[in-house]
Amino acid sequence: MGLLEFAAAKALASSAVFLFITVLLMAAAKRISSCIVLFSAQCAVLVSEILALAYVHRSPEAYVVAGLVFVVKVLAIPYGLFRIVDRLNAPREVVASTSSAQSVFIAAGLILLSFFAVQPYVRTLGVDEEMLAAAVALVLTGAFLMVSRKKALMQVIGLLVLENGIFLAALTTTFGMPLVIEIGIFFDLLMGVLLMGLFVFRIRDTFEHLDVSKLRKLRG
Amino acid sequence: MTQALNVFQAVLLVLIAPLLRGVIGRWKARIQNRRGASVWRPYADLLKLFRKEDLVPTTASGLFRLAPVVLFAVTVAAAGFVPVLQGSALLGTTGDFILLVYLLALGRFFLVLGAMDGGSSFGGMGASREALVSTLAEAPLLLGLAAVAILARTASLAGIVQWTLRQDFFELSAVHALAFAALAFVAIAETGRIPVDNPATHLELTMIHEAMVLEYSGPSLALIEWASAIKLSLMAALLIAVFAPWGMATTATGASLAVATAAYLAKLAVVAAAVAVLESSVAKLRMYLVPDFLGVASALAILAVVFTALMR
Repeated sequence: MGLLEFAAAKALASSAVFLFITVLLMAAAKRISSCIVLFSAQCAVLVSEILALAYVHRSPEAYVVAGLVFVVKVLAIPYGLFRIVDRLNAPREVVASTSSAQSVFIAAGLILLSFFAVQPYVRTLGVDEEMLAAAVALVLTGAFLMVSRKKALMQVIGLLVLENGIFLAALTTTFGMPLVIEIGIFFDLLMGVLLMGLFVFRIRDTFEHLDVSKLRKLRG
Repeated sequence: MTQALNVFQAVLLVLIAPLLRGVIGRWKARIQNRRGASVWRPYADLLKLFRKEDLVPTTASGLFRLAPVVLFAVTVAAAGFVPVLQGSALLGTTGDFILLVYLLALGRFFLVLGAMDGGSSFGGMGASREALVSTLAEAPLLLGLAAVAILARTASLAGIVQWTLRQDFFELSAVHALAFAALAFVAIAETGRIPVDNPATHLELTMIHEAMVLEYSGPSLALIEWASAIKLSLMAALLIAVFAPWGMATTATGASLAVATAAYLAKLAVVAAAVAVLESSVAKLRMYLVPDFLGVASALAILAVVFTALMR
């Protein structure tokens, strides 16, 4: 049993580092497919963290949540996104309004900002500083990815990263929401991705491109 | 005994450098479904070049002949700073990582001068590109090493290695991950590998290193080629020493030395395999995207330094 406890402690201690790295690489990535792979890796880090928390707090419900996150976020959503990328037949680059070096600089700044932003809450709530900072950093960089990327698909990925951040914040501050609500959220998320996927196809069919910065006029 | 081992590891670094190149070339060929040349080919090349006549352009001054010698000398001196088999280095007591970085910069400076002295337009183009790449690579290299040095509270490479050896293998900190990413980016740019520069050809308009050495021949070219091979092996040894020194000899016995050598060769094989896979799977960057590539490295290195203050 010593080994499992050791693994759980290490997963809790180092998952924030891996989350930061996935976020920074996402900011640097030039292709949509690598962003999707990075999103899947980010969710895998989340799964390992939930498993570690479940083991430490001896909570069977959390194992169910971990399984749900694994199936929905690590497998189903990336698979769906890859299908969309395949069927879109559009150029696969991430078209961004900032260069990748600038994006990484901004993402790094957002990570630092989140460390300073969580200071008062860490003291009053008594939660892990790195974890809470990682949650806020995920929310901020998700929002940054949404505003700086021009492809409609990248907006979907940005929103998913943002949602990961909110999920992580709930996990660290209150040790997750009740199971029923979690299941509802996952169902919502799946529907959301499905709808956004349809929406991306509609944009492509109507405008013959996916560049949201060019969506200025209404068309019938 | 320790001093003898220090000499041995520096000599090892210099002598196996062409072999590392040969192994990378061979594995790259296998991945691309070619048979590839023998792994000993770089040694044969060096031997052949050393026997040939040294041709100097009529427009060149004495600097042209001096540059390869200086480049080779400072690169070998830099190899004396890197711990390979144990937590100390031949010149470890006389200098720190800043000296190592600027020894490499000095060698590159002379190579750039020699390239411009050669008088061909290609040499000038290669020299200006090399100057651009090395200017941009210097900051992340220094900052990445500085981040680790701040954690270890010592500027000497041997001290950093000894500190890392005392840490738990699983004690992964954000600083190490970020600094490793930054230094890996820099190592690619510094050693002129794909995606920054293509070491396999001098028939490309966007070449950097090969354009600088076009005018060189005979023993001068051999010295330059050997120096760039040593630089590749030095960068690999530096990454291994700072981020994965586990297995290094802590006592000067035959058994621990054998373990250290085997561990080092295994880690070097991992690096060679990673380089071969990377070079076969990514395309060379356009010249104008190289600053962006190194900008990402700078951002990671700066974040690594800032994190040393944030994390306890």
